[in-house]
Order: sequence, then structure tokens, then C-alpha cells
Amino acid sequence: MDSEDEMAAMMEDSNDDEEFYGGGGGYGDDDSDSDGVVMDYDGFMDHDSDDSDDLSSSHLHYHHRSQNYTILDEDDIRQCQEESITKISTVLSISRVAAGILLRHYNWSVSKVNDEWFADEEKVRKTVGLLENDSPLPDVKELTCGICFETYPRDRMSAAACGHPFCVICWQGYVGTAINDGPGCLMLRCPDPSCGAAIGQDMVNKLASNDDKEKYNRYFVRSFVEDNRKTKWCPAPGCEYAVDFVVGSGNYDVNCRCSYSFCWNCVEEAHRPVDCGTVSKWILKNSAESENMNWILANSKPCPKCKRPIEKNQGCMHITCTPPCKFEFCWLCLGAWTEHGERTGGFYACNRYEAAKQEGACDDAEKRREMAKNSLERYTHYYERWATNQSLEKLSDIQCQPESQLKFIVEAWLQCFILDALYILRYAEYLSALFVNLIVECRRVLKWTYAYGYYLPENEHAKKQFFEYLQGEAESGLERLHQCAEKEFQVYLNSEGPSKDFNEFRTKLAGLTSLFSVSVDIFCQQLIGAGVTKNYFENLVRALENGLSDVDSDAVCRQAGSSKNVGSGSGKGRGGKGKGPTSRSNSSRNIDDSTHWSCEYCTYANVRSPTVCEMCQQRRYVNLYPNPTYHMVLYIIQLFIVVRVDLKLKLGTTWWNMVFGQI
Amino acid sequence: MSTPARKRLMRDFKRLQQDPPAGISGAPQDNNIMLWNAVIFGPDDTPWDGGASSDVDNYKTIDCKLYGWLHESHTCHNLLAYSLEHSKQRAVYRTFKLTLQFTEDYPNKPPTVRFVSRMFHPNIYADGSICLDILQNQWSPIYDVAAILTSIQSLLCDPNPNSPANSEAARMFSENKREYNRRVREIVEQSWTAD
Repeated sequence: MDSEDEMAAMMEDSNDDEEFYGGGGGYGDDDSDSDGVVMDYDGFMDHDSDDSDDLSSSHLHYHHRSQNYTILDEDDIRQCQEESITKISTVLSISRVAAGILLRHYNWSVSKVNDEWFADEEKVRKTVGLLENDSPLPDVKELTCGICFETYPRDRMSAAACGHPFCVICWQGYVGTAINDGPGCLMLRCPDPSCGAAIGQDMVNKLASNDDKEKYNRYFVRSFVEDNRKTKWCPAPGCEYAVDFVVGSGNYDVNCRCSYSFCWNCVEEAHRPVDCGTVSKWILKNSAESENMNWILANSKPCPKCKRPIEKNQGCMHITCTPPCKFEFCWLCLGAWTEHGERTGGFYACNRYEAAKQEGACDDAEKRREMAKNSLERYTHYYERWATNQSLEKLSDIQCQPESQLKFIVEAWLQCFILDALYILRYAEYLSALFVNLIVECRRVLKWTYAYGYYLPENEHAKKQFFEYLQGEAESGLERLHQCAEKEFQVYLNSEGPSKDFNEFRTKLAGLTSLFSVSVDIFCQQLIGAGVTKNYFENLVRALENGLSDVDSDAVCRQAGSSKNVGSGSGKGRGGKGKGPTSRSNSSRNIDDSTHWSCEYCTYANVRSPTVCEMCQQRRYVNLYPNPTYHMVLYIIQLFIVVRVDLKLKLGTTWWNMVFGQI
Repeated sequence: MSTPARKRLMRDFKRLQQDPPAGISGAPQDNNIMLWNAVIFGPDDTPWDGGASSDVDNYKTIDCKLYGWLHESHTCHNLLAYSLEHSKQRAVYRTFKLTLQFTEDYPNKPPTVRFVSRMFHPNIYADGSICLDILQNQWSPIYDVAAILTSIQSLLCDPNPNSPANSEAARMFSENKREYNRRVREIVEQSWTAD
């Protein structure tokens, strides 16, 4: 996309302007990406990375160190395949076709092929079907085909390296049938059952029809992804990209170029912080019939006479079973109705039932029902929340900022500074998209924490408490973000564009600029909030992946205290305007107060130890600029200030005061 | 109307007639060359050859042709239940009937082969289908009808209990050979009277 490249250009440019960033640390400070956490601009900067030892092509874009996967389109796949074949072909001194057969047999692993070949070339040749010498056809005028038993002149016969002759017609039938049978055609051998000579692409091109040749070629290219253990297709419907992955850290999340995120390990959608096993269990559970049975058990009672399950959804306790049974009984105690009536408490209570309950006469069936009910309730609790988050995630994705509000920003400033306005628009677009992306991602993580919660063992109360606390914080943070995204931007929709009349325009502009400055503030505040939320989510994910191993009930209370302080700190920032950014930077969780610092992992407020957290023993993660949105924010602020100063110079002080007043 | 499959089937038939392997015979049905009837003789000196029941010691194997005539030189104690119809000259004992269904993909695809007679064998299903590698994934266009029937014949005595189609037979073959042989002989006797 063009905008991506321009973003890249802009980012590279801004690298040079150090004075924009008060903090001093460069934006491209890769050293701080210590543990390869996937940065949030991956979704936009998904250029092909040049990380595997097999890839050497220069047409692929710049490489980002913390990425451990590469997106490949069809041409890339073909190119990688060709490169592997060339490598093997030159090293082993065999034809390209033979190299192709060899590689396909060993799942496109160049190293494996080399190892096996140099260990025992004979054995490899025999297994794969590559003969040393090419036996030509016998030198006679006519030959008999081994399949149709007809005799043909020598030039109408053909053979593989083994020399077994068959007529071209039979060859075409044989190869055609194999190709139509599927990708097994890549492992085709000579028709003679005693001979295992491999049939390669050169013979197929010589003997098959054009359609079949095309099919074979496609299977061949597809095989590079399907047989290769390091690559998989992106599961998004209609997506033609493949992902080459370097298994390293436990993080299997991949963001495809088609904007679909998935887990490379189990090829389901991205599901941090839960692991793949839990995910498949959860999905199975959602679809299994077992829950239906549980529901029936929990919510229905069997008719005392015919034993069919009955669900009561309203009305009194007098139940009449459906024909042919027609038994009348009391719902509460399941006794015959004839023994009930006014005496036993009427139609909505049942003395007999209460009495029996008090005596503890409830039987096993009741107990089973209770247990089923509990288990079902627990499951329903988690499932409902998971499902809600999923639908919200889908909604957030589709919802994008309407054009009108961005257009409005452009128009307002266009009157004064066209270029700057364009910059602002670009950044606004970029930021709002980032924003949406962030919300979607956070929603997804939150969704999966519910699945995680379901599988937490019941008896570990401290863990459960800590988990629920973390989850609650995450959820409220996300709600705030969401609110901002939906409500605050409404303010734009109500404003109209600037008018032609200068006075009117001036008043409007005054209103608009103050609105704009407020909105920029809000925007920045949201982004910082987003940055904080993003950090928070990263922490949550990391904590959950560590299995909540660093739980201490005291720490839970302490965090509750410290996080409240941080939260209110960022709340305060809302009121201020120009001075905002510097004070806001202090509200980030990683601050270095002279008295304490909050640990990145467990959020424990460390007082004594300067570099290692006392609670979780992790090294302090120092990152002055936690995310790139921060820099965008700063840039916008700077821009805004510059623009305002310029306006002041151009229009004179009087007008400036009129327009901006005391702002 | 002569497709490569039919041409090849004609050749197979000619070959079968000119140079028949021992104990095997087959021919296409009158109006349909894609459907064949075949017969396999139980291999000699095996329970499949229609050997005598246990109380008869001397029993000479009879060398009999399907469309041929009985030799005078046989002796047997039991009256074999075969029907000799002079017009058809067909002997029905110790033969196992099969059908072979071919498609237009022949010889690139194998035919579907089924036993018509009831069989008790670890690799033959109750409905008569055969579990044989060359009829599935190890098929080669070089195999012809004679080759198929020959390999089925050798399968009779060399079952593969590791891929059992008939679990009872497979278990019996591995554990209790005597019982297995007895059951086989029972089946063979039944094939005498079957028509």
C-alpha cells in the first residue's frame, strides 16, 4: 500500500529529527525490544523479512528484528523454491529436476537433503528413485509397450531413466490419471512395479497434456508450503499468502498481510494468552452435545410416571404431563397432585417439599442436578462473556472512523496551512486505524482470558483472585478506550465545515480550533491511555502465560493501591492543554519516580531494588518510549504548537487573541 | 467403439486363452466386456484344494479343467457333489467364483474384484471384497487379468493377518490353525454344491 510506504518514509525521516523527541532516546531504539515482543505497528509494517537462511533475495523489504515470521505471496514461494533447487543442484551436481524430486521427498529441507545425501548416497537414490545412469531405449526399430501390448516404432515410445519402454499414449494416460488423483502425482514412479524410478517434472512436461502440465506445476508450487514444516497457508478465507515461521519463543501469533491474525501452531485465530491445547478443548466444548445434556439435567425434572424430562417455564406448581401420560403432579416435590391442595401450602409452595428438604431426604438425583447446575452455570458464565467479547471484537473491526470527521479537520486547517493539515490528516488516519486495531486486539485477548479462567483449577483461590483482578482492570481499561472511541468522536459529527464569510469563519474557526485543540488533547490522551492499556494487556498476557506463578496475596492488595494512583494520574491530564504531554508522560507505568518504580511484569511497586523486581524476580524492562503512538502523539503536539505560533505571526496578536482567547 | 480399455481387455482375454496359468480361468460376460466372470482353483496341497474329509486317507487330487472333461483316472471315496452337464462340461467343486468389474480407466485404474462364493479368509470381507494391495495402492498398469487372478490364488494360502478383513478368520489363523483349516474345508465343501 502506498500509505504504508509513506509512513515508513516518514518514520525514517523523523528518526533524524532528534529535537522532536524530548526524551533523547531514538525512536528506532531496537535494543530496547529485549524479548521480541511483537510491536503494535506490525499490523502495518508487515514487510517481508529476510530472516531464514534459505532466503537471500534482495527484492524483499527491510527486516524487522523482532519479527520471527515472513509473509510470502505466490511469487515469493516460487522464488524460494527455485533457490532451494538451485542450491541442491549445484552442491550435489545433479539436474534441477532430480534436485526437485529430492527436496520434495525431504520436505524442502535443504539441510536434511545434504545430510542424507552425504551420509549414504546409494540409499537415498534407491529410496527416492533417482538412478545413477540414464538407460536409453533398446536400439531396435520397434518396441512393445508394456501396458497396451501393441508394437510401435521406436520414436513413439518413451521411458524413464530405468529404460522400461511404454508408448506415448499409455504414458499420457498414466501420467494424466496420476495428476487427476491429486498431489500424489509428485511422487510418481515408473509403471513397472518392480522398478521404482521416479518420474520428474521433465517427463511430465514431455508426456502430459497442457492442462495436466499446469495442474502438476500448481501442485509442485503448493507442495513447497504444504510439505514444508516451516510454512503454512494463512487460514483466512480467500487469502493467498503463506507464512514462513521461525520457531523460537513461545509466541506463535502471526499477522498476515490480509489483516487476519492467527496462531501459527494450531492455525486457529490468535489466542494469547491461552495455549493451543486449551483453545481446542474450549472450542470442542462449545460445540459438544455434553452441554445440552448438562442443561437438561440442570433445568428439567423427569415426570414421576413416564420419566420424560420436563422444563417448567412459568405458572404454578400443578403440572400435567403430556398425553399419553397425563399424570398430574407437584413440580416441587414430584408427588401426585391428589395429595396436594390448599392444605399443603397452595399452588406456589409445597410444605411437603420443604419438610422433606429439611429432613435431608433429597436423593441422589437432586444432588446430581445440583452439581450439573453448578457446572453449567460456571461454564455459562465464562462462555457468555467470551461470546460477547467476540461479537464486540467483530463490531470494532468493521467500525471505522467516518470520513466526515477527518475531512472536517482537514478543512478547518486547510484555510491556513495546507501541508500541515495533510500531515495531520495522515497521522489522524493512521492513529485512528491503530486505535481500532488496538481495541480489536485487546478485545480478543480479553475474550480468551475467559477461556483461561474456565480452565483454572477451582481450589487455587489466590490465583483465581489475582486473575480476576487483572481481568477486571483490563476490562475497565478497555471499556474506557471503547467509550472514548465511540463517544468522544461524536463531537465532530455535529460540527459543520467552515463558511466563506471571514467573520463567520473566524468565529467558527475559533470554535473549531478550540474544539480541535481539545480534540487533539483528547486524542492524545486516549492514545496515551491506549499505550497504557496496551502495556497493561501485554502484562496480563505475560502473567497468564507464566501461569500466574508469581502470585502473592499481599502483592495483589498493593497493586490495587498503586494502580489506582496511576489511573487517576492520567485522568488529571485531561484538563490541561499545551502543557499536557510532559506531565502525561509521567503517568506511564514504567516511570522512574525517585521513590519507586512499577514492575512491568507483576506491577509491584518496587522501592528498594533498582534493577530487579522483588516480587517476580524479573529484570526491569526499561523502555522510554513504550510504543510508537507516543511519538506520533508528540509529533502532533509539536505540530500543533508550531502551527499556532505561525498563525499568530501571520494574523497578528489581536486576531490571535480573538480566535484563541485565553486558551 | 474400441477404447484403449476395451482393446487392452481383448488382449488380456486372448492371453488368458492362449497361455492360461494353472488353476485360473476367466472370461468376459457375453454382452459386456467390462464385466468378467473368473474362477480360481484352490491351490494344491492346501485346505483350499477340496481335500478329502479327515476320514479318507487316500485321495488323489483331481486335475480338472473348467470347460474340459473329467479324467478317468481319479479315485475317490466320497461321491463328489458335482454336476456334470455335458453341454456345459462344468465341474463345480473346489472352485471359487469371482467377478471383475472394469472401468474405462483400465489399465490405469484397477478393476473391482469380488468373490461370489462364500469365503472364510482373513483378507476377504463378508461381502466378497478382497483386501489386496495390488488392487488398491500398489496397482500398476502392467498387471493384467492373469496377474490379478494369480496373486489372488496365492493370497488364499498366504493370508496377511495384519490387515484383517475378517477378524474372526484372522484371529483363528494366528491362534488355532487346526480350527482354521477345518473351517476352510467346510467352506470348500459348500462350494461343491453351490451353483
